[in-house]
Amino acid sequence: MSPLQLFIEYSIVGIAAGGIYALIALGIIVIFKASHTFNFAMGEMMMLSAYFFYAASVTFALGPALGLIVAMIGSIIVALIIERVAIRPMLGRPFIAVVMVTFGIGSILRGIVGMVWGPNEVQIPSILSRSPIFLGDIFVPGKTARGFAIAVILVVALIAYLRFSRAGVALRAAAESATTAYSMGINVRNVVAFAWVIAAITGCISGVLMANINTLTPHLGLVALNVLSVVILGGLSSISGVLVAGLIIGWLEAITGLYLPTEFREITPYVLVLIVLLVRPTGLFGAKEVERI
Amino acid sequence: MLEIKNLEVVYQGVIQALADISLSVPEGKIVTLLGANGAGKTTTLKAISNFLPLEHGRVTQGSITIGGKNMIKAPPHEIVRRGVFHVREGRHVFSALTVEENLVAATFAHRGKRSRKDAYEEVYSYFPILSQRRNQHAGYLSGGEQQMLAIGRALVADPDLILLDEPSLGLAPLIVADIFEIIARINREKKVSMLLVEQNAVIALKYASYGYVLENGRTVLEGTTEDLSANEDIQKYYLGVDTEAA
Repeated sequence: MSPLQLFIEYSIVGIAAGGIYALIALGIIVIFKASHTFNFAMGEMMMLSAYFFYAASVTFALGPALGLIVAMIGSIIVALIIERVAIRPMLGRPFIAVVMVTFGIGSILRGIVGMVWGPNEVQIPSILSRSPIFLGDIFVPGKTARGFAIAVILVVALIAYLRFSRAGVALRAAAESATTAYSMGINVRNVVAFAWVIAAITGCISGVLMANINTLTPHLGLVALNVLSVVILGGLSSISGVLVAGLIIGWLEAITGLYLPTEFREITPYVLVLIVLLVRPTGLFGAKEVERI
Repeated sequence: MLEIKNLEVVYQGVIQALADISLSVPEGKIVTLLGANGAGKTTTLKAISNFLPLEHGRVTQGSITIGGKNMIKAPPHEIVRRGVFHVREGRHVFSALTVEENLVAATFAHRGKRSRKDAYEEVYSYFPILSQRRNQHAGYLSGGEQQMLAIGRALVADPDLILLDEPSLGLAPLIVADIFEIIARINREKKVSMLLVEQNAVIALKYASYGYVLENGRTVLEGTTEDLSANEDIQKYYLGVDTEAA
């Protein structure tokens, strides 16, 4: 295989992984916008969703389609419970305190999953066809390509929804000023809960996709640490920035794996983030405060 | 419309901001609150819209009734939905949202009847300049335009009572005059009651029909704006008229 072909194949696989990164990052950013809470439990939420999917489709033999719906409902309920029980009481507390709470929730979720399903990998039913796709001579693994398509469609749909819907306006209004949002009649608490529901949806889909492409263990959530670089690169406050940032990071990881020893895959995204932050402290697409000059 | 009786407000459990405020806003009238900085004008408005808990303040005594109902316990977004819209001091437009999105945000306070589109069109008919800027980020509007947008959001909500805090703040006199003409028109045409807090006593007394003077968290003087304008103390301290020389 020619070096160019290899480059293109790795690029495609990387970009495809980036689509799922973008989906996870979107869940983190929506919550951040609504409540200035950085949700470090996002990875564990998606991991739990994947286990919900496993339980529903295999253990209770509901099949993949119904299993996904059940997993989605379960994920949303869990997200709403987390928001109501652990996050809402922390409203107005220091940022770092809330972040620690989300860390704690992540550990709890991982612990619970470990107790219920054990530490070893479980096999979930395939929802993505394995048959590869050829772009000319270029080979694209089937699951990766289809996972990418689903992730990107969902990301674009959510970005459009948050841009054009009233709910999206409420979210962005609450992001700018909770007090002013209240004075518009917006129930900011509901906006925050709504953000957790969006995160549950992106977490559920990305979790099931990830578990399909890789394998499902209680450590699936660790992938969210890679997503951290996506969130920062895109600029914490930018909803539409996540897509581009996700694709860039995914691509960079894959290309690093091609030319450098695999350990570097963990490093290069953060090197890129560092460089970008030096030039643009708010990330690639983060809002500079709009201010009249 | 609005009745406040013997209102006392305390911040952080110890700082008394209001000691004894009583006032009423009759249906369809503009009532103004005058007073020096720190007299408690803004706090009074925040007590009505119940923003105090967000600033660690609390109503410790007295009552606020709107349309006959005690409102002290209602959360802020509920109070807006029941028809009391607070246009806060400093305008507070959502700068990252477009002009029209700012209006969309206010539809959460909107109470049925007309369509949202009609509501936006009404705002644009009172403030044509906003129509030209509807797709611009509100942060790029001039101060006067931002004030118009802040009042426009109140119009979208179609309230019975608008609390207006310092609409003239930091604006050029000509723009202030324009904005007050429109405020008066809204009051006349839409029969909205208004409670106006304003440093600029001249303009406040011109457009309001009744006024209260606040000092150290108490209502110390009240009367029709004609009477207040004729009052020597008011002339001396608020209107800058040198009564002794005259």
